[in-house]
Amino acid sequence: MRKLYRFLVRVGALASKETIHIRRDVRTLYMALGLPVVLLLLFGFGVSFDIDSIPLAVVDHDRTRASLELRRTFVASDDFRLVALLDDAEDAEPLFQRGRVMALLVIPPGYERAVAHGETVTVQLVLDGTDANTANMARGKAEGMALGVNLEIVRAATSGVVAGAPLGASIWTRFNPEGRSALFLVPGLIAYILAIVAVLLTSLTVAREWERGSMEQLFATPVGRLEIILGKLLPYLCIGLVAVLMVLTVGAWVFDVPVRGDLTVLAIGSFLFLIGMLGLGLLISVLTRNQLVATQAAFLSSMLPTLLLSNFIFPVENMPTILQWLSRIIPARYYIEVLRGVLLRGNGYAELWPDLLVLLGFSALMITVSAARFTRRLA
Amino acid sequence: MSRTPLVQLGAVMLKEVRQTVRDRRQMVLLVVAPLIQLVVLGYAVDLDIDRVPTVVVDHDRTVSSRLHVRRLLADGTLVEVARTNDEAAAQRMLELGTATVVLVIPPGFDRALARGDQTQVQVVLDGTNPNRSAVAAASVQRYIATSTVGAGSDLLELLPPLPRIDLATRIRYNPRLETAIFMVPGISAVLLILITMIVTAMGLTREREVGTLEQVLVTPLSPTVIILGKLIPFAVIGLFDFLLALTVGSWLFDVPIRGSLLFLFCVTALYLLTTLSSGLLISTVSTSQQQALLTGFAFILPAILLSGIFTPVMAMPWWLRPLTYINPVRYYAQVIRAVLLKSAGPSELWPHVLALAGFGVFFVIVAANRFRKQLG
Repeated sequence: MRKLYRFLVRVGALASKETIHIRRDVRTLYMALGLPVVLLLLFGFGVSFDIDSIPLAVVDHDRTRASLELRRTFVASDDFRLVALLDDAEDAEPLFQRGRVMALLVIPPGYERAVAHGETVTVQLVLDGTDANTANMARGKAEGMALGVNLEIVRAATSGVVAGAPLGASIWTRFNPEGRSALFLVPGLIAYILAIVAVLLTSLTVAREWERGSMEQLFATPVGRLEIILGKLLPYLCIGLVAVLMVLTVGAWVFDVPVRGDLTVLAIGSFLFLIGMLGLGLLISVLTRNQLVATQAAFLSSMLPTLLLSNFIFPVENMPTILQWLSRIIPARYYIEVLRGVLLRGNGYAELWPDLLVLLGFSALMITVSAARFTRRLA
Repeated sequence: MSRTPLVQLGAVMLKEVRQTVRDRRQMVLLVVAPLIQLVVLGYAVDLDIDRVPTVVVDHDRTVSSRLHVRRLLADGTLVEVARTNDEAAAQRMLELGTATVVLVIPPGFDRALARGDQTQVQVVLDGTNPNRSAVAAASVQRYIATSTVGAGSDLLELLPPLPRIDLATRIRYNPRLETAIFMVPGISAVLLILITMIVTAMGLTREREVGTLEQVLVTPLSPTVIILGKLIPFAVIGLFDFLLALTVGSWLFDVPIRGSLLFLFCVTALYLLTTLSSGLLISTVSTSQQQALLTGFAFILPAILLSGIFTPVMAMPWWLRPLTYINPVRYYAQVIRAVLLKSAGPSELWPHVLALAGFGVFFVIVAANRFRKQLG
């Protein structure tokens, strides 16, 4: 009992020492608290795949009422925005190269006559394929429009005989019926921002003590390895928890992210994820002893995997098997699962307990390993 | 006389190179780490959507219902992961995230179709990822539209030939629509700013922290020589990393090099001028490496995410778009993509080059001024 008391006193003393360090450097504190919210706002608004108007150039060789009609159909839908009306398809080249237009519609001469005679006309659509995702979206929209125009022509020609299609589909989208990117991206952003801030905060603290030589002074005191690790962790955990609360509040409030599931699952998940990422930062710091090297290691181990291998933006199912396997050891993947589960899908313990278990295991592993590696260096 | 500054510059550069090379871990991180990142990133970024997991609830269980399901799944966008009679169980899979689409075929589906009555299949989507649910919905709708035209074709044959618009789509620059050849150049831009800016900001702050900057002060070196001597080695590392990224990109990911490499090299140098001098600027306003790192990040993260590299600038709200015009990463990412993929040159990209040059000169002047004042 007395032993435990002493242990707690020492952890408390180290934590208050670290708190003094943090309070002296007010800018770091402000940034640790402010950066997540600012980043969430900026990214929540800025990061989106929903292109509403694709810049389109048109070459109209026909210049008749029918061709004008077709142009109007494209532009009226808001999916395309007419930026240039050209005389020749060649003129589009510099516009493509500069990225001013992403699509080119070429209406052939004799378009109106062909439509009037009931012939099939080929209208050419040229797309800038560099951004494959956007090009795919543009193609889908253009094909949909062509289908609509054709149905219209068929309907007019058959005076409504083929109007009623026998087979239909009723589509019901759950969890995010308006298809807002924000609902999908905000949970991922929360995990990404927290991971970066947590690892960056702690990855330097132990390395700094080594660089400045104050670590030797710490060794002269009777504190143990686990006590140093926990003492370093606690103040940053408090900062991190405040950051989590702020980010979640801003996310729910500004971006209308619903909270449909069990909030205690979210709280436990956030707590475990934070400890895990702070622990990872500490481990890096213990291993590298050099602040510059520690930051580079932090990038490699937390920032990139969290961005790429966590299902945040890029779907894991499409990756090569090795990367899919690698993504299983990325804690952010499980935390994002918890966030999306609780916020969007209304999940609780029943669905998310495996993810919580993984997060618990990861944070326990990080603390144990950093404490263990710490002693070996002491010798 | 005129040779003295050059000799001094050489001495400072030599010191800087020795210091960097001595810490082997740092050397590894400057060259190997970007390489690993590029390879992992190149393979990881694939926004293509296919193999969307689908649960089929077939209440009809007829030959025709099975045929329609098979034809709907034929293009590979949707993949059947389970077949059940229990609609609640299917919905449960949606909640667990094991399936994204539930396809419900109503009882009497076959009979209704045979009689020419209207019938509807129900599609329930998990909208968590709107991109994915949109693609899944489009796939179903496309099938319905084509099968509807097929169903009416007997009728159409009796009519005079109908006019039709045939949309011939041609995709330029990236006909196979691969994400990697678009992303790898963008990622190179990210890696360059990450490496050069953070290393300069933290390295210089460290010298101030440890006190070695004061020792350099007592030597007869002018501030300009010190700055240049410190920045040039990192510029060389940056250019080396750039060439490395280009080689790996074209070799591993088939990124084409269609434009002028010399032009791209010059633009990269301009970009590095901006990143290095802004690193210098950050070091002049930071007192600890932790501060320098966080300050650097406060600029780098928005610069990366608002650069159009991962998500298109056009998808940003109108009030955020002006912000991208003061973002050097955006200009560089556009140049590197346009040169590599679209063989664009100075005549198309001069506004971007001008902007990058402007940023470079501005940051160099501001940073050098602050640095000189602090030394003096």
